[in-house]
Amino acid sequence: MTKAVTTISPTRMELIRLRRRIELAQKGHDLLEEKMDALMMEFLGLARRIKAARTEAFAKLSDAHSKLLKCMAWMGTLETVQASTETLKEVEIDVSGRSIMGVRVPMVEAVEIHRKPTDRGYSLHVSSTLLDEAASAFEEALSKLCELAEMEEAIKRIGLELERTRRRVNALEHVLIPRLKSAVAFISFRLDEMERDNFVRLKRIKALLEAREWKR
Amino acid sequence: MEEVIFRELVRLNAHLPRRRISLREALKNPEIELSNGGTHRFRDSELEVLKSILPEKDWDYLKLPILIEMNPKFGKGAGRIKGTLECRVVAKLLGKQEAEEIILYLPEIAELRGKLPTVTEYFFAA
Repeated sequence: MTKAVTTISPTRMELIRLRRRIELAQKGHDLLEEKMDALMMEFLGLARRIKAARTEAFAKLSDAHSKLLKCMAWMGTLETVQASTETLKEVEIDVSGRSIMGVRVPMVEAVEIHRKPTDRGYSLHVSSTLLDEAASAFEEALSKLCELAEMEEAIKRIGLELERTRRRVNALEHVLIPRLKSAVAFISFRLDEMERDNFVRLKRIKALLEAREWKR
Repeated sequence: MEEVIFRELVRLNAHLPRRRISLREALKNPEIELSNGGTHRFRDSELEVLKSILPEKDWDYLKLPILIEMNPKFGKGAGRIKGTLECRVVAKLLGKQEAEEIILYLPEIAELRGKLPTVTEYFFAA
């Protein structure tokens, strides 16, 4: 701070310039704080939704696994594994992007994830309806996992942006604005000092002139 | 450091679209180009919500994304929605009275963003 103050020329122009910079920095600080609040709100909203989505996704997965176990018990492990190798494994997922205050966030949407038993690819006459149920439960779980993946990536990116914005706000609040204010205080003090100097000098000159007049 | 911060301020509204599009256009192509060169996609389910709120004759006049103006002069965390149709949509979703402009406070903004995360966007003004 001392270094910054010593390099400043104490002139009225500099004082005006610094006051303008303080005003701008203050406006910037307010705006960045608004952004930080908005980001925090998005972050907390997403955290709440993630919590609910995670519970739901795990419940769906656990349901799907128990259905698969039932199917294995009924159809036999080998037959179930055989059916799984015959199943079409490609699922179309549409990944696009959206922007939240400039933060690129992915949008993951599973296209036609819920398939009909006839579209899955395994032979229907050797499989049980339990296999259809298990497959359908896994498809549902996968759709929930896509939602969860989207939200988790979004929260990670928003968290990084939040951290960056907080750093900027802190830099403005604790470094830049105080530095500019101390520079303004320094210039004001120096200008006042110079004004007092001038006043005293003029008084002194006046006294000297008056003394000279008296001598004559 | 000052330069970095001022660059950050310039970047504040860089996420806004180059051109806002109407609901009808968004229903045909839900992707828009942003000022920073990126793209933003509206979710179909949210466009369906807007479709259900507004009659078809208004689909050409509702401009998307709906902008939430964040301005420190409204108070900390408060935002403003401007425009008759935009306000009608927001009022309907939040159970508020319709007006030419609506001031929203933090919990209401959170609720709105929770319901329409892709068709609403923040806009920072001083």
